[in-house]
Amino acid sequence: MNGLLLVARREIATHIRTKAFVISLLITAALVGAAAFAPKVFGGPDTYTLGTVNSQQLPLQAVAPDAEIEWRAFPDEAAAKRAVLDGDVDAVLVDGVKVISDGEIDSELGILLQSTNREMKLGAAGVNIPPLRMESVGADTRYQAARTGIAVVLVLVLFMLVIGQTMTVAMGVVEEKGSRIVEILLTSIRPWQLLGGKILGLGALGMINLVTILGVGVAAALASGLAMDFPPGMPGIVAGVLIWFVLGYAFFATLAAALGSLVSRQEEVGNVMSPLTMLIMAAYFVAFYATAEPTSSVASVMALIPPFSSMVMPVRMAATEVPIWQVGLSMALMVLAVLVVLSFAAKVYERAVLRTGARVRLGEVLRGK
Amino acid sequence: MLEISELRKRFAGGPDAPEGKVALDGIGFAVRPGEMFGFVGANGAGKTTTMRIVMGVLRADSGSVSWQGRPLTYADRRGFGYMPEERGLYQKMRVAEQIEYFGRLRGMSPAAAGKATGDLIERLGLGERKGDAVESLSLGNQQRVQLAVALVHDPEVLVLDEPFSGLDPLAVDTLATALQERCRGGVPVIFSSHQLDLVERLCDSVGIVSAGRMVATGTVEELRAAEGGTLRVVVRDPEPGWADGLPGEVTVNGDRHVLRAQDGDGQEILRRAAKAGHVEHFGMEQPSLTQIFKEAVA
Repeated sequence: MNGLLLVARREIATHIRTKAFVISLLITAALVGAAAFAPKVFGGPDTYTLGTVNSQQLPLQAVAPDAEIEWRAFPDEAAAKRAVLDGDVDAVLVDGVKVISDGEIDSELGILLQSTNREMKLGAAGVNIPPLRMESVGADTRYQAARTGIAVVLVLVLFMLVIGQTMTVAMGVVEEKGSRIVEILLTSIRPWQLLGGKILGLGALGMINLVTILGVGVAAALASGLAMDFPPGMPGIVAGVLIWFVLGYAFFATLAAALGSLVSRQEEVGNVMSPLTMLIMAAYFVAFYATAEPTSSVASVMALIPPFSSMVMPVRMAATEVPIWQVGLSMALMVLAVLVVLSFAAKVYERAVLRTGARVRLGEVLRGK
Repeated sequence: MLEISELRKRFAGGPDAPEGKVALDGIGFAVRPGEMFGFVGANGAGKTTTMRIVMGVLRADSGSVSWQGRPLTYADRRGFGYMPEERGLYQKMRVAEQIEYFGRLRGMSPAAAGKATGDLIERLGLGERKGDAVESLSLGNQQRVQLAVALVHDPEVLVLDEPFSGLDPLAVDTLATALQERCRGGVPVIFSSHQLDLVERLCDSVGIVSAGRMVATGTVEELRAAEGGTLRVVVRDPEPGWADGLPGEVTVNGDRHVLRAQDGDGQEILRRAAKAGHVEHFGMEQPSLTQIFKEAVA
């Protein structure tokens, strides 16, 4: 077996049986699974408990078929007031002319009551108003809530996996450099085999994580019935996430290996990595913003610029319809960026990883000193 | 034969030492097949730098390392066994897995690496610990694993940076025996050490390095001959001033006078001593490697 694959296999074998890996995978999978059931538990249709004093119940159900409405009758206004103040009912219709509530009435309920009351009175007077027909000439927004939900989960999962695996790459590089294992390794295999194997192995672990999380998420969504609200093209979104993870991870992990090779002690990893972690954080924030405003120009532009595109584009793809040319352009730019970073990082790594002791300056490495 | 010639290396200086530091100043020596070469010298003399250059981990500014008459290549080095100065093992990896892994990295088949690992674990007495993580092992056992990593692919040359440091006498014996076996099999072995008695006992030849230069090299016998013996005469109750005009120095210990002389006519000294008092001891003393070393680096 080639040195690169041997290194990759060792990385997978070493990490996959650690408690940290198993536990974090279980926790993330559980959280994503729970997220698929959350709308069922917390969301649901509006429910109102209403009361009447000397009035007729309003036919609210005809106007708001999704709402659950329960009516109670009270003997007089005083009893109704007590019930309102105790929070037993949301509002009470008194004598068919006024509504009492505790504080200002819930605006939706207020509008519902007003319009139903008006319609009923007009109907009684013989006026018949045909309801307005609603027609959208813009994007199909029926799946908007589901799309936003998926995008939010995705951005969190991508961010955690990218930053986690990237840090693991950096720490692995420093472990080998600091303990001089690298001296034995590099008399056995070439630097690119060691670097490539490490990135490949840890990337494969990230993929195992991601596929598990997506699998659990989709299965839970199917089980909870949430999948009914999923937009069409869900398999494409999932496949896109995998590709974008690979690209983003390749970009950040390669840079992490190069930065890691500059230092010899684990305590220095955080410091030397801080520009990179900040870059990942920035990508994360933009991607998070894109979940809320997927069609904004900031989101559209950042979805094209590497390395931000690796997190923003999958989020945009989940949150809205993205023209195919933008996806293609963004991917091409990202692949290009990965190639540039690879050649740069391989050079830095090769030159710096054997220079133990004090932190190596990036400038020195690049000048080839 | 492994030949190291005229290696020079200067490390770049920092802001406070802009001229840098000369680590190697034209060091050179050769190690024949089946020869155990002890590399001694003070800390910072250039031993580690030399070994790292031999292993290709560091590049020399000038000079060359050749193996069997031609410049050493990456492929040659893959066939070497190496033990770096600071021990390099994956702390969380299990003993047997680790040895096998390094064997595979050096191009061994799974079966061959597995077999070699089993043999080494047996030979180095690691049998009971083979399933344990390296970090749970004692220093001595970690060192054994480190040696196994250097030996697993049946290396053509062994380059070991202080393989015996910090070991108890039993572990030293185990490691020394393993090295001697390889050496008898025709493998050139270079190791550095500060334990000069050990070097004296194990090595066919010794190189003493000081300030990046080889100041003495040869077999222990040759070095002794070059250094020359010391004549030591012990006389009891001699007349005062008996040694006036004789070479060497006299130390007085009670009623015993001890004369040590590097040169001079031994017979003349003996006559004077016998005339002056009762001669209890008269003989040539061979210098120990420690003395040779101190003399050489002084």
